[in-house]
Amino acid sequence: MFKILAACGAGVNSSHQIKDALETEMGNRGYDVQADAVMVKDITEDMLDNYDLFTPIAATDLGFEPKIPVIDAGPILYRMPALAAPVYDQVEQAIKDSGKA
Amino acid sequence: MSGIISFANAIFKPLIDLGAAPMMLIVLTIIALIFRVKFSKALEGGIKLAIALTAISAVIGLLTTAFQDALNAFVKSTGIQLSVTDLGWAPLATITWGSPYTLFFLLVMVIVNIVMIVLNKTNTLDVDIFDIWHLAFVGLLAMFFGANLLITTILVIFIGVLKIINSDLMKPTFNDLLHAPASNPMTTTHMNYMMNPIIMVFDKLFDVIFPWLDKFDFDAAALNKKIGFWGSKFAIGIYLGIFIGLLSHQGVKEIFTLSFTAAFCLELFSLIGSWFIAAVEPLSQGITDFANKRLKGRTMNVGLDWPFIAGRAEIWAAANVLAPIMLLEALVLPGNKILPLGGIIAMGVTPALLVVTRGKIIRMIVIGAIELPLFLWAGTLSAPMVTETAKKLGAFPKGLASGTMISHSTMEGPIEKFLAYLVGNASTGQIKFILYAALALVAYLLIFIWYAQQMKKRNKVYADEAAAKAAK
Repeated sequence: MFKILAACGAGVNSSHQIKDALETEMGNRGYDVQADAVMVKDITEDMLDNYDLFTPIAATDLGFEPKIPVIDAGPILYRMPALAAPVYDQVEQAIKDSGKA
Repeated sequence: MSGIISFANAIFKPLIDLGAAPMMLIVLTIIALIFRVKFSKALEGGIKLAIALTAISAVIGLLTTAFQDALNAFVKSTGIQLSVTDLGWAPLATITWGSPYTLFFLLVMVIVNIVMIVLNKTNTLDVDIFDIWHLAFVGLLAMFFGANLLITTILVIFIGVLKIINSDLMKPTFNDLLHAPASNPMTTTHMNYMMNPIIMVFDKLFDVIFPWLDKFDFDAAALNKKIGFWGSKFAIGIYLGIFIGLLSHQGVKEIFTLSFTAAFCLELFSLIGSWFIAAVEPLSQGITDFANKRLKGRTMNVGLDWPFIAGRAEIWAAANVLAPIMLLEALVLPGNKILPLGGIIAMGVTPALLVVTRGKIIRMIVIGAIELPLFLWAGTLSAPMVTETAKKLGAFPKGLASGTMISHSTMEGPIEKFLAYLVGNASTGQIKFILYAALALVAYLLIFIWYAQQMKKRNKVYADEAAAKAAK
């Protein structure tokens, strides 16, 4: 299973939209994906160790460099399929690169 | 006229009598269907909203029941009259979404947004449907204080238009803060940024009086990393349980119970909050599709929820530092009745501080500390309306003391709540309030116009810099 961490301000709105969209779209593309949504401020290095990909809304300063790939997932929130498609493609590529496809 | 009212009552009264959760299930499902959402998706959203309303009511009941005796003892032993329980944003959002007026204000603002786009008065399409609750809350408050639906709707449109204009004004600053290109469409109409004009006044004063303080700015990300889980929701619940337990002379066992109860309630509030955001999701997509079709592919900025700038560490560093400051202020502030708990990490305060100061952390903290009393007073002012509405939802156990109230310590839009109070009271015909409301609305508009001018100057500098870079 490929694990994704989404993050936003309260961990309940934007990050959940990203989580749901990635789980749905990657599921449709045939990948076994699980995403979690958290508050940006609650992210630690230990937490990120449990994930394969970090998908914030925009550039995020965590106070440390994530060791896992990072993909900005903000365009998913625009609610326009054409703008979200490149994000999905990048996530799909990250899954392939991880060897967990 | 009486025939129309009888007809409306015949249709709506049985619906209202069902209670908030079943009523909102039906209303949200129907509204989503009107926006051409598939029936199964529309119904799924309606059911999720009903479940969220029921769940949040249950957790409010748990928290207020657990803390009632301790808070009474706290007041007795300390003499501090902080009798309003601060539940944070999620319960208030749920309560507001439990009112059909919220959907009415949403439809009004969708139309206002589209009209402003068509007339070229804005370049922002607001897709943050969920956060209409901030504006709807102001409307509900105005009605609670006596405004009729017409006056309330005018007030909602007035503030809503300024919010949309503000999203255009802030757009270049967001690009700057995100290091994003001009093509980045992210902006926001979020209510918390309506504090920008007030913050800008203090920021300009800071320029004159304390510019030397900026050199003490520290690494916000490093501070957040050090704080780690100590600033998390459940940790805050534990602190408050210990704080109230000790000051109300509870035993060790009771203090543990209070702490764990506060911690799990704060965690559950957020969890349930995510349910009703999911509930509104099909409607949000339906409205966005509806608007996009009518705008015929015009490229524009997209109004999102505020956290696309949550990656800026200053927001969290300022919120962490402001939390103990707010607790101290709450204890000594005349007129305040709220003991900060669920809203103590001031997410409704710090994003606007970031935008105006552009990340100068010392300014954010100093100005934040100065403006926090406005939030505490606005939360206190709103408490009777929030409590009454929660009671209608069945969120209050019958055994609770009649004086027990709930609210939110750092809810977005404190100034707008004062406006709602004045406009509501003015609507009852009191000359004094008519005068105050008129003066307040004029002052609110004038300070916004001044702020808009300042932001246009800032945006011109951004444009000039971009042009100079392009010419190189």
